[in-house]
Amino acid sequence: MNNILDTKDLCKTYVVNKKEHNVLNNVNLQIKEGEFISVMGPSGSGKSTLLYNVSGMDKMTAGSVVFKGIELSTLSEKEMSTLRLHEMGFVFQQINLLKNLDIIDNIIISAYMAKDRSRKEINHFAIELMEKTGIAELANNDITQASGGQLQRVAICRSLINNPKIIFGDEPTGALNSKSANEIMDMFKVINESGTTIMLVTHDAKVASKTERVLFMIDGKIEGEYNLGKLKKENKDGTQREQKLSEWLFKMDR
Amino acid sequence: MEMGFVKQNNLFDFLLDLQSQVIHVSKGEIAVPIYYMQKENLKIGDTLRIKNDKAQLEFTVVSFIRDVQMNPSIVSSKRFVVSDTDFENLKENFGVIEYQIGFQLHDPGKISEFTNSYRLSGLPQKGPTIDYKLLKTLNALTDGLIAAVIMFISFLLNIVALLCLRFTILATIEEDYKEIGVMKAIGILPHDIKILYILKYFVMAAGACVSGYIISLFLNKIFSANIMLYIGSAPKSIVQLIIPFLATALIFFIVLFFCMLTLRRFNRITAVEALRLGNTGESYTRNSFLPLYKNKLFNVNIFIGLRDVLLRFKLYTLLFFVFFICTFIIIVPINFLNTIESPEFVTYMGMGDSEILIDLRYTENIIERFENMVTYIEKDPDVEKFSTLIICKFNIINKDGYEESLIVGTGDSTVFPLEYLEGTAPVGDNEIALSYLIAGELEKSVGENIQLVVDDQIKMMQVSGIYQDITNGGKTAKAAIAPNHETALWYMVNLDVKTNTDEKIDEYAEAFYPAKVTDINGYLDQTFENTTSQLQLLTLLAVIIAVLVAMLITSLFLKMLIAKDSSQIVIMKSLGFSLKDIQLQYITRALVVLNTGIILGTVFSNTIGQSIISAILSIVGAPKIEFIINPYHAYILCPLGLIIIVTITTLLSIVSMKNFNMSDMNAE
Repeated sequence: MNNILDTKDLCKTYVVNKKEHNVLNNVNLQIKEGEFISVMGPSGSGKSTLLYNVSGMDKMTAGSVVFKGIELSTLSEKEMSTLRLHEMGFVFQQINLLKNLDIIDNIIISAYMAKDRSRKEINHFAIELMEKTGIAELANNDITQASGGQLQRVAICRSLINNPKIIFGDEPTGALNSKSANEIMDMFKVINESGTTIMLVTHDAKVASKTERVLFMIDGKIEGEYNLGKLKKENKDGTQREQKLSEWLFKMDR
Repeated sequence: MEMGFVKQNNLFDFLLDLQSQVIHVSKGEIAVPIYYMQKENLKIGDTLRIKNDKAQLEFTVVSFIRDVQMNPSIVSSKRFVVSDTDFENLKENFGVIEYQIGFQLHDPGKISEFTNSYRLSGLPQKGPTIDYKLLKTLNALTDGLIAAVIMFISFLLNIVALLCLRFTILATIEEDYKEIGVMKAIGILPHDIKILYILKYFVMAAGACVSGYIISLFLNKIFSANIMLYIGSAPKSIVQLIIPFLATALIFFIVLFFCMLTLRRFNRITAVEALRLGNTGESYTRNSFLPLYKNKLFNVNIFIGLRDVLLRFKLYTLLFFVFFICTFIIIVPINFLNTIESPEFVTYMGMGDSEILIDLRYTENIIERFENMVTYIEKDPDVEKFSTLIICKFNIINKDGYEESLIVGTGDSTVFPLEYLEGTAPVGDNEIALSYLIAGELEKSVGENIQLVVDDQIKMMQVSGIYQDITNGGKTAKAAIAPNHETALWYMVNLDVKTNTDEKIDEYAEAFYPAKVTDINGYLDQTFENTTSQLQLLTLLAVIIAVLVAMLITSLFLKMLIAKDSSQIVIMKSLGFSLKDIQLQYITRALVVLNTGIILGTVFSNTIGQSIISAILSIVGAPKIEFIINPYHAYILCPLGLIIIVTITTLLSIVSMKNFNMSDMNAE
């Protein structure tokens, strides 16, 4: 399997009050196509910064990020936008829907921009996604007329509308209750099983335990990696992965 | 223009120099009217030559004349001052003698009574009668009009400023919403919070008013340069300082009052709501309106921009009003200027539109000259059509039962018809058409009768029509009756020719000397030259001001809008919208609002604007001005200019969205 994402000595520095803060320090990361990975770490470890730099939403200070063979630093603003539109999907903790559009419009807008298919096809696909995620009845609702869990499903539909190669999630379950969080993670699993690469940032071990590989970051560096996919046996209630992961995290945190 | 040469008066009606001192000239010296100083760019020391076949006289220009009677360019005569000796020389060798008989009354309120007595006295009465009221009107028509337009534009700009102020305050409140909530939560009274904000605007308003007052003291010199040149400065008094000061103070208090009114919004902010939401909680409750998924036509970005304007039109109201007012400020002066410069404007001077105008007055054997002229024209194969008009003084019986003189154009006024407000041109010899002002004064309308004194007999004349006329104080009439050569003031011939107009004018000027032969444009130029040049300056200033205001407000508004929409912009960027895509959305918003403002502004300019100008000019006899619009200027050049300027301003104003960081969306 090829690498979909490859970073080499990735650095990100912020200057605040003339003082430099190195948020990412020579991060080297490879993600294969179809992988389901999560990035964990304490607050301020640089995990969200890593997400934004590898997705092109932020500009790296040094190093390289290669996405599907394309070095992101060589792309213009327009080329980067086009890449994000066609190849990437995003799911955020704050959900971040456009408040002046209703739910179905929020889902289809980036597909209309991409112009890969006819608008009729896009509309049809959007309804399909909404039915799969159980929110079809909310199509013409305002975004204020849905719960947090429902809105996160809308965000997932939006992220899938252009059949992206990779989905980035920044604490996608952070603002949800545990039931909704589980439902969202189950959805991610289904999406991943259909071949889409997923990279999540989370502080929740329960969420991370549903992924295949967990990276642990401290002070802008990847300090450890745990491959949950290698676990052969799993309890009936699915707690073994979580338990194993927690043990490992405990060691990492020391 | 007719040039008259006079000696300085001894008792009153003095001709003054630019220092408002009585002019005295010696032999070989001449004082020239300001009109010619401006037109010919004359200076003190220039030489002026008067010559004909018999003689040639040379003069040195020693002064320029302020002539209260003949200052305005609409008055077709101008007086030059020469010495007694030179006057005798001129009288012997040049021109014709014209007598001006003037009276200064102890009691100006008795002008009508005196005029009537004079009329009945049998003393010389040929020629126009001018009184103090008419002199004021004539001067008002030139400089007064400019002052009125300046005040009107200032008024509109003040409204724009107040709208912007409201928008700024509301935007500031929105930005500080959370902080206001905190202040309320910790117990600071709304009244005290208001004072904090008011203080800021108090200082700004005071600073702006003081600066504006000081700047106006300098700018005043530019705008009143013309009126000061022609009429001189008013005697210095404290009133000159007090009135502008009071006007400035009034604006200051209006601004403060407006701020306090807008800041009443504080009363509606609850601490809990402000702290929890952190914003005014603007909700898009009609998101199902114009759904994107039903859009089949428009580009997504254009659709989003257009939709946003419709969904949040209240937000765009300021921008709309500014564009509307700017369009109004540009279009009305442009249309008015085009109207005055157009040959069709002659209809507001009680004349029909013809190619050539011949004006014969105050010359020896005038009747014979006139008849010869008419015979010549009748035989000229180049003439397409012509009409003669002999302007005479007749007496009418006014509404108080007294005789009053009236300038009546006798002849066929159907050949070159003018536009009538009501009714038609007089055809029968018992019909008369009245100008708007005289019809109002006599309280007569179409179909009613007036009494005209013809050959010492009272003749009943039916009013056939009412027309507009700003000449001769706006009080004239037309009738198809036999002229009274005893009281004829001047003789006119209007004609259209089949050949080149300029060549014909030259031919007639030579053949009919000393008659004045011009084309209509030349006639209008001479009459309104001063007003037109002032109006051109004013129009240019109005366009510049409107463009600057449009740019400033567009920039201010869009900066605030993208600050308000920053989170939405960042979301779109994260989804893959490029900067150009988002720029297109905002350009669409600006242009949708602009075009709506232009369309409505243009409609209002051509209706309300036209009515305002008509209302101003009704004072001088033209109550129903219809703009003669140059469609290229009004409908293409101006809107296109505004579109280009607003587009460029939009692009420059939204450039900061380049720096909106997507990673700030979910900052750690």
